[in-house]
Amino acid sequence: MKKGTVEMNKLLNDLNRRSVLKGMGGMGLAAAGASFLGMPRGAQAAESLNYMCWEGYNAPSILEPFQAANNATISIDLITDSAGGFAKLAAGASRDFDLVSSDSPWIQRMGPAGFCRFIDDADFAEQYADFYPQFAAPFEPLQFEGKATGLPTRWGWVGPTVNTKFDTLEAWSSYAPVFDSAYKDKICLLDWGDWPIMPLALYAGVNPYEELDEAALGEVRKVLRAAFKNTRAIVGDLAIAQKGLLDGSFRALIGGGTYCTSSLRLKGHDYIQSIVPEPKDGLKQGIIWMEATGLVDNGKNSAIAADFLKYIVSPEVAKQLAITEATCNLVPNSKAEALFSEEEKKALQMDYMWTAWENSQFHTVAPNIDDMLAIWQEELAAR
Amino acid sequence: MKSQPKRWNDPILVAAVAPLAIVMLVFFLIPLAMTVLLTFQTTQYYRLHWTWDLKIWTEIFSKPHYWTIMLRTVGMAVICVVISILIAFPTAYALTTRLKTYSAQIQILIIFAFLTDAVLKTFGWILVLDRQGVANWLLSYLGLGPEAMDILFTPTGTMIGMVYNLAVYPMFTIYLSLARIDRDLVLASYDAGASRIRTFFEVTLPLSRPGLYSGAVLVFVLSLGAFLEPKVLGGGTSPLASELIRQSFETRVNWPLGAALTIVLIAIGALTLALAAAFVFRRSPAAAGGQA
Repeated sequence: MKKGTVEMNKLLNDLNRRSVLKGMGGMGLAAAGASFLGMPRGAQAAESLNYMCWEGYNAPSILEPFQAANNATISIDLITDSAGGFAKLAAGASRDFDLVSSDSPWIQRMGPAGFCRFIDDADFAEQYADFYPQFAAPFEPLQFEGKATGLPTRWGWVGPTVNTKFDTLEAWSSYAPVFDSAYKDKICLLDWGDWPIMPLALYAGVNPYEELDEAALGEVRKVLRAAFKNTRAIVGDLAIAQKGLLDGSFRALIGGGTYCTSSLRLKGHDYIQSIVPEPKDGLKQGIIWMEATGLVDNGKNSAIAADFLKYIVSPEVAKQLAITEATCNLVPNSKAEALFSEEEKKALQMDYMWTAWENSQFHTVAPNIDDMLAIWQEELAAR
Repeated sequence: MKSQPKRWNDPILVAAVAPLAIVMLVFFLIPLAMTVLLTFQTTQYYRLHWTWDLKIWTEIFSKPHYWTIMLRTVGMAVICVVISILIAFPTAYALTTRLKTYSAQIQILIIFAFLTDAVLKTFGWILVLDRQGVANWLLSYLGLGPEAMDILFTPTGTMIGMVYNLAVYPMFTIYLSLARIDRDLVLASYDAGASRIRTFFEVTLPLSRPGLYSGAVLVFVLSLGAFLEPKVLGGGTSPLASELIRQSFETRVNWPLGAALTIVLIAIGALTLALAAAFVFRRSPAAAGGQA
């Protein structure tokens, strides 16, 4: 037997099961102790951010470079309902979150709700300089008492989404087909909270973004009742709505607009378009929707959260945010425009975007939204 | 030997019951009590205010549309129970009698279907029931014309989805009851001159009642909370209670209203079950034990 083999056997004899277990136990205790005493660990991130956001903002291609560059971890809480996300924050979760990306009225509402970490526009001058002039500081829709509640991150417009294989765009220069018996059982309302209510209210001659009296709410009730009579389905799932639009079983989607159009167009269905109807009775019939990202006042005053806000509106990231797996949307950063391919620009209907802007209301906090949602429930129940 | 009834404070009995009692207390009764408390609060600017108020209950009792949706939900649940039982009973009966040889294989197939995610199954029905779906293609092939069937986005579509997802529950409870029936009782009935039909109604059916009732209760309770089917297959045009509650909590951010509607739904469900139980027990006091 060779010397080496003898020594190996001796070593193995010494390394019996008990000694191995002892060693492992000791190592475990040491690791636990180190953790308890706050000893640095190689792979641990320096700072963690809790981020409440819509789909797209959570893409690894967006988050990972920021995490790597800043030695930070970002925990995501994905929202599917802006109001629900806000309610969660208002119920106390604002203490846990650093950042929120949601529909702009809900970011603005963080101001009066008392958990907004206001931003100084001067600190973001470089970012504002890249934005289209329409989003220049001070950007009114995100202001509260003269202070900015966040930065705009994505936008689009709400108007009829039409399959031009079946209908001409001229036919949808107003919302009249929604109530036309020729379109009975061919209209799809999107079950996305207040989104389908607003355009129908505008068609009824009611500006839903102003304080409404009983007579105006009565008009909203009438227009919803008439719309429900012609509607085939009230669909919450984007895929079902898009499928119906493609196969012609839905002639138009109401309440969605570019949010449910651009991804189809990017996949080659360029005959699907979202347009903005002509103004009616002095009221613009289109609605500009916008998502914004704001900082949450959770007491941490995190510098890295503010850095993330600058990062998410930067041209390269804005471009990624515009083209996601599920949806494609416009972004306020003008420098991002140069990064889009021609197909992407066409998919986003960029040649039409300022026409849509000119003929649209801006989606802000609607004072009577709960009344309108209650009417929606009542009329649906009575259907 | 006759067993002695245990006293309520028997230590072994208390020890045996305590874990379940604690779980029920912590995860059911306390949350339920908190839900009741929530109904007396108000929301202001999407925030809860702990001010004792009957505003929500006044709204619920003064607006008929809440009750329209609640009654529609109970109606749909009752119809779902009836259809599910009508499908489940013959299937279970066939499994215990005619298809005994293949019973295990068929049960495995049913379990596979049961374990498949309800979201997948429900969305799958769209491909079948759509105007351009498989069903219409088949009917068109048979010469019944294009779009002969227009079921998707109707209450019928909702019902198909609910029955499809829930009928498996009574299928198994009834199967277990039928499998436990002593074959000698059936043979004795034949020996006594009873026909197959009379034997079924006087021996088999009464002895399968425990499975029948438990299956019906399962389907009824689960139907009350049906959310996916009315949303996906019903097209949202005839909302049921769960959608109403979701809208109140999420879209309207009116948590007291959502909580109150939840309590109303639970109360209606419990009351319906109590009435059904009273009816059953009045007709047949031994039903619970499955004795004919």
